[in-house]
Amino acid sequence: MFIYTKKLLLLLALFATLFTSSVTQVQAATNDTVTVYSSRKEHLIQPLFEQFTKETGVEVNYLTGKGSDLIERLKLEGEKTPADMFMTVDAGDLWYAGTQNIFQSVSSDILNSNIPSHLRDPGGLWTGLSVRARTIVYSTDRVNPNELSTYAELANAKWSGRLCLRTSKKIYTKSLVASIIHNQGNENAKQIVTGWVSNLAAVPNAKDSHIMNAIIAGQCDVGIVNTYYFGRLIEENPEAPLKLYWANQNSTGVHVNVSGAGVTKYSSNVEGSIQLLEWLSSARAQSIYASLNKEYPANQNIASDEIVSSWGSFKQDKMNLSIAGKLQSEAVTLMQRQGYK
Amino acid sequence: MFQKTITRSNIWVSLLALIVALPMFVVASSWLIPISDLWLHFAQTLLPDLVISTLILLTGVAIGVSILGSVLAYLVVMVEFPGRRWLEWALFLPFAVPAYVMAFVYLGVFDYSGYAQVIIRELTGLPGFDIRSGHWAIILTFVLVFYPYVYMMARASFKCQKIQMIEAGKMLGANPFRVFFRISMPLARPAVAAGVLVTLMETLADFGVVSLFNYSTFTTAIYSAWGDFRSIEVAAQLASLLVLVAFFLIYFEKKARGKAKYYSAEVTDIKPYEAKGVTGWLVFLFVFSVFMLAFAMPILQIIVWSFSVFEEEWGFKYIDYFSSTVTLTLSAAILTVIVAAVLALPRDRVKNSKSVQILIRLSTLGYALPGSVMAVGLLYLVQNISNVSLHFGGSSINHILFGSIALLLFAYVSRFIAIAYNSANASSDQIKPVYGHSAKLLGASRFRLVKDVYLPMMAPGILAGGLLVAVDVMKELPATYLLRPFGWDTLAVRVYELSAEGLFERASVPALIMVMFGALLMFIFHRLDSNKI
Repeated sequence: MFIYTKKLLLLLALFATLFTSSVTQVQAATNDTVTVYSSRKEHLIQPLFEQFTKETGVEVNYLTGKGSDLIERLKLEGEKTPADMFMTVDAGDLWYAGTQNIFQSVSSDILNSNIPSHLRDPGGLWTGLSVRARTIVYSTDRVNPNELSTYAELANAKWSGRLCLRTSKKIYTKSLVASIIHNQGNENAKQIVTGWVSNLAAVPNAKDSHIMNAIIAGQCDVGIVNTYYFGRLIEENPEAPLKLYWANQNSTGVHVNVSGAGVTKYSSNVEGSIQLLEWLSSARAQSIYASLNKEYPANQNIASDEIVSSWGSFKQDKMNLSIAGKLQSEAVTLMQRQGYK
Repeated sequence: MFQKTITRSNIWVSLLALIVALPMFVVASSWLIPISDLWLHFAQTLLPDLVISTLILLTGVAIGVSILGSVLAYLVVMVEFPGRRWLEWALFLPFAVPAYVMAFVYLGVFDYSGYAQVIIRELTGLPGFDIRSGHWAIILTFVLVFYPYVYMMARASFKCQKIQMIEAGKMLGANPFRVFFRISMPLARPAVAAGVLVTLMETLADFGVVSLFNYSTFTTAIYSAWGDFRSIEVAAQLASLLVLVAFFLIYFEKKARGKAKYYSAEVTDIKPYEAKGVTGWLVFLFVFSVFMLAFAMPILQIIVWSFSVFEEEWGFKYIDYFSSTVTLTLSAAILTVIVAAVLALPRDRVKNSKSVQILIRLSTLGYALPGSVMAVGLLYLVQNISNVSLHFGGSSINHILFGSIALLLFAYVSRFIAIAYNSANASSDQIKPVYGHSAKLLGASRFRLVKDVYLPMMAPGILAGGLLVAVDVMKELPATYLLRPFGWDTLAVRVYELSAEGLFERASVPALIMVMFGALLMFIFHRLDSNKI
């Protein structure tokens, strides 16, 4: 009997320790710490935060998660949130977080001069930190680049059975279709999506890397991917019979998305957070930020990574990215109606 | 006096079951708000397709796991063939492999661009095909991942079947097939049904495999409501339908089982049939190829991938990932098992025991909820408690509980109680009421009865359940990802973060460590299991 009680107490003590240790961790966040919720994955942010701490002495505490999960958590935590900054990888999520009262407006000359205005929220709620271009990738064996022109043209029947696309559930697809709705109107967008779906060579892929593998294997001839996935593949396999094609160069330009961040409304360390945000937009950080993942720096004064710059320069779609956010649910509705899985 | 104590224990049990079932109630309470237009949109677009594909998937998986699981169990228990001894436990190992890891390995190997298809195309000149279209490939994947549930249950049942019945069948000249279909299978039916039930709940709640295959199930609509249309309410409404489906599945399983109990407590380890010569090797070949496909091949593949990126991926951070995983896994397993044991303790039948049973059943439905819905349900629960507290002049507790180990452990208990409960309940079912009666006659208190009689008798079931929960917690991703405290990244989180970026080779490193830890747990499970016999 006595032994049982003792064991029980021991167990209780174990849980109590676990519980309090997690509570104290949250309370430990003081002014020398910036706490970040991030849907950008750990391996892409950790090296940057380490460098920031080295240069400034300000510690960065971070928690990764899915964008929509973290927004929900921030909403529920309200004033008591431990997060000083929310970082995510899609303009739609940034825009939505803005509408949910999660960010506070920041006006900083440093940010204004480092980051072009179409990559920032008009109200100063969030700032883009890297640019992700989504464009056409094609098989050099089976496609002549002269045949390619725009995203819309991939709806043409000549690509029947030759097209691979990423699933409509992925946020990058949603933003791309949102930009098409903005640039060409809902009716045209509907026709484009219908055409894409009927040209598909396979069920839409879960990953951009799967699309490129499918093109290499001959399952399809063209696809639409974010350029950094292509960059990674080419780095590993320089002989791959694949090339990027810059879409819509004679019209709206290549669809770009951003990964970005903003200071939370109830941040307990606004000063530190702005400092981190400004530092992330600086030349030094931008070259690490972008080259870690072969993305384009948002700060236009910085040269891209070697592989990235070898693809040449291109015209970007200058649509303000908060529009992509606003149109995202319209884009999903449209895609689901047209049976784009 | 005694009667009173038992009624009180019923109250405590009901309260505990109610607490465990809380997330389900929060999710169901989403129906209190008005129906959104989103339902109309889903009804016109996603729902017709996904109801059909969910049904096809569930049917296919149910047929697949019940055949594969019970045939394997029968062979291993009733037939002596080369390699039987190690295969008997090796067949448990696929438990240790997370379903999403299995899915990305299979896609990497067998899809159009996978090397298996490339080689076959080059050798035979056949056209390639998209294994993600249609239903069979994803059904096969789920079957290979989840058959161990049925295998485990059926194997235990075959072992406990009255050997005399089988001997009688043999004496009447029935061949192994006839014995299988006419005696063993009918006797094992409840066990197989229990295994299928768990499998179906796992399949319903899965998001990882279906999203890699881009296959539509109910979870597709749940994630679309939340991720695409930012409506947590509709997501919760859809999720509560899943719980309802699970409830009916359990109900039908209970109905089908009736009051039948076919078990005998005596277990003999005599193999009635000996497969000699070619037959023996054919049996071996079949069992071995299942083991190869469901475990050895995927593991070899992730070992190969791990090697190519090991230097890049490996680092001190793995000490953190590993210790978080082990701590969470073990503490969640211990906690779940304690709750399950209390719920499963034998109780005398009193008036309200029916409603207690229903409450307990309700508390085990969390298994059918997608992990992230369960997690958000918990956040809302905390929020509601805070609101009540604020209303009475107290303060919000959100910031204390969000991101605390306590809430995460609660989520694990609520989600995995079904596994621990089923296992503990199976052993408590075998305790004959006579023990309670004699204890009563001897004037023993309920406390002593539980401590000295019930718990020791239930111990094997409780332990086995605990180990299975531990493996499940180790593999769990969505709730962990949403609720974990700062710095508590687990191996599963690492696997997800890397594979979400398409870095499957790097994701193999944490996946491999996970599988090794899971295999260790399964090994302990097996040792306990064989000591029992």
